[in-house]
Amino acid sequence: MNVIEHPPIFRLPGIPDHVTYTWAVMVILAVAAFLASRNVALVPRGMQNFFEVVLEQFQQMIDDVIGPEGRRFLPLIATLGLFILVGNLLSLVPGMYGPTTNLNTTAACALVVFFAYHYIGIRKQGPLTYLKHFMGPVPLALKPLMFVIEIISHLARPLSLTLRLFGNMTGGHILLAIIFFLMGLDGLIGWALSGTPLGAVVGGLGGLVMIAFTVGFLYPLKILVSFLQAFIFVMLTMLYISGAIEEAEHHGGEHHPAHH
Amino acid sequence: MRRSLILAGLAVLAVPGVALAQAPGAPTGSWVGPFAVLVAGFAMAFAAGLCALGQGKAVASAVDAMARQPGAAARIQTAMIIGLALIESLAIYVLVVAMILLFVQPIQ
Repeated sequence: MNVIEHPPIFRLPGIPDHVTYTWAVMVILAVAAFLASRNVALVPRGMQNFFEVVLEQFQQMIDDVIGPEGRRFLPLIATLGLFILVGNLLSLVPGMYGPTTNLNTTAACALVVFFAYHYIGIRKQGPLTYLKHFMGPVPLALKPLMFVIEIISHLARPLSLTLRLFGNMTGGHILLAIIFFLMGLDGLIGWALSGTPLGAVVGGLGGLVMIAFTVGFLYPLKILVSFLQAFIFVMLTMLYISGAIEEAEHHGGEHHPAHH
Repeated sequence: MRRSLILAGLAVLAVPGVALAQAPGAPTGSWVGPFAVLVAGFAMAFAAGLCALGQGKAVASAVDAMARQPGAAARIQTAMIIGLALIESLAIYVLVVAMILLFVQPIQ
């Protein structure tokens, strides 16, 4: 990776980059939250207005997926979403480092989700009832098999959450790095041909094409992917939480058609 | 015809190893590194292609459903995005494996 990618500009000695830039995201979010809640008014203006809109969107999604009882988990879900979104977008700023392009950060987020939804489920249903739901509505002889399969599928959830976010972010990152590398290559060709009109044509035209491609296509695509991945992470978190608390009430929600 | 194609393919596959083995000053001439690069590229190509097939099917049915029931478009869209994420994560696994092969190189 270091072959094709410049390390971030601002680095703290002895501290890994993803930790430094996780702190950067925390500072950004904390300052934004402070500005939003500095003088809370009944009629919101400016920053407060913006954050109210954002949080109402989160609340709307929670109402849709978990139901009204899911509003308690708004802090967890909205914090995860905003952290991941800002982390994703930070990787698009030249000279900065996106914490979500590192496996450790995404694994931390996914583990938080994993333990949180199990904790929520156990709190809601009690440990024994919660464990029973791993066995599913199958005949008694199949229950041990079902239990093992469910355990494996639950263990795969944080893995897939981690790798999805990390892979999408890093994949886009490598793509950008390679395009910039090609830009350098194009410049090299132009330099080798410099002094001739062909050099100016190759270097200038190639550079223009690359810049147009990057700014016009790759950056919007990466911004879209940043929002989409944050959305998907949050959405899957909500689905897991709703799966953990829903099953007690009416044996299996809409996410488990096999239960009916 | 087919046989010669297969032979040509095998020859292409063998080239990096041979080239490495003949390079002056190459200490051991391990074939793992060049093949890891080849495998990473091919794996990503297959994964991307098949993932595109699956996602195309999903999006096609989702758009079909949205056209039939515009009222349920929001719910269908949410379900579609979640499904796409789950399909895509399989390609992402391959991407992670390819990156491990390229950058970490656990087997030398």
